[in-house]
Amino acid sequence: MNDPLPYKDTKPVGAADFYFAINATFRFIQNKFGMEGLQRYWTDLGTQYFAPVSQSWKDKGLDGIATYWKAFFAAEPKAEVDVITKQDSVVLEIKTCPAIKHLRENQREIVGCFCQHCYFVSEAAASPAGFTVRIEGGNGSCRQTFLRQTANVPPQDFSLIKEAR
Amino acid sequence: MIGVYDFCGHYEWTFEWLEKNGGEKMLREYWDEAIHRDSQKHASELILKKGFEGMKEYWGHTLAHEGAGYTTAATDKVFRIDIQDCPSKGFLLRNHLEQHSDYCDHCIGWIGPMLKRGGFTIDHQHNHCGQCWWEMKATTESAAASAPGELAKGNDVRLGANWNAPEQIIDSYIRSVISSTRK
Repeated sequence: MNDPLPYKDTKPVGAADFYFAINATFRFIQNKFGMEGLQRYWTDLGTQYFAPVSQSWKDKGLDGIATYWKAFFAAEPKAEVDVITKQDSVVLEIKTCPAIKHLRENQREIVGCFCQHCYFVSEAAASPAGFTVRIEGGNGSCRQTFLRQTANVPPQDFSLIKEAR
Repeated sequence: MIGVYDFCGHYEWTFEWLEKNGGEKMLREYWDEAIHRDSQKHASELILKKGFEGMKEYWGHTLAHEGAGYTTAATDKVFRIDIQDCPSKGFLLRNHLEQHSDYCDHCIGWIGPMLKRGGFTIDHQHNHCGQCWWEMKATTESAAASAPGELAKGNDVRLGANWNAPEQIIDSYIRSVISSTRK
C-alpha cells in the first residue's frame, strides 16, 4: 500500500454530516448489544476493515503510522491536529476533533463513550503491527500516543478518556 | 478514529456486521432507527414539514455535497431523482469493497420509512452499479411510475446504455415494496 490511505475517494475531504451517522451507529449498537457489544464492534472494525492500515503500519513502522494520520486528518473536515514523530512514538495532538466539533455545532446528542472508539479501533489496528495506543483527554481535544508494544506501558486507563457531550 | 472521508466503506462494513450479529431484521431496524430517526432527522424534519419542497431542498443539498451525478424532475404530484453516478456506491466499486450483499438497499431502508411517515410512497429501481431512480408521490396517488423518458426526458437513467447491461440485475420497488431483487 503506497498511498497512506487504503481507500480513496474522488473528493479531497469527506462530508461532515456523516459524523451524524457514525454517532447514531454507536448509539444503536450500544442500545442493542450493550457496552461490551459496542467495544466488540469497534475491535472488529479495527481488525477487519482497517486490516490494510494495520499491514502498512507493520511494514513501515512509526513512519507509516505518522504518514497515515497526517493523510487521515487532512481528509477530515475542519480537523486541527499536529502529528509529531518521536524516536519511540508517534503523538497525535488533536486540538480540534472534527467529529465532536460538527456534532456540537449541529446540536446532536453525542454518545457518552464516543471518544473510546478511538482507543478500541486504533488498538485493534495497531496490535497486529506490534504497536499499542494510549489516549488522554477527549470531548473535543485529546492526545493519542502510538508506541511499540515492547515499550511495556501500563494498560489504557479509561478514566483518562473523557465522556463526550 | 473512524472518519467521514471513507465513511461509505465502514458504513457498508457495518451492514454486514449487524446482519451477522443481529440478523436482517436488526439491519432494517438500524436503517430506520439509527439512520432515519437519528442521523438523518434533519431530513425528516424538513420533508415532513415541507413535502415536495423539502425533498428538493434536502436532496439538492445532500447530493451536491456528496458530489453525485444526478438530476431531479417534478410535477405537482411527483418528485423524481435520477442518479447517474452514485458517489457512495462508486466509492465502494472503485475500492473493491463489498462486505454486504446489497449496499444499495440502505437508501430505501431509511428513506422508505421516512416518507411513509410523511404520507408518501416510492417507486424505485437500482442496478447495483451506481445508478438508480426514485419517484415519490402521496400515498393517495394511484398512478404508476412514469415510463422511461416520460418525466425525466433524456436524464432518465433507464435510457442509458449502462442501465441494464448484461449480468446486471435490477432491484425494483413498487409503492415502497420490493417486487424483484437479485437476492
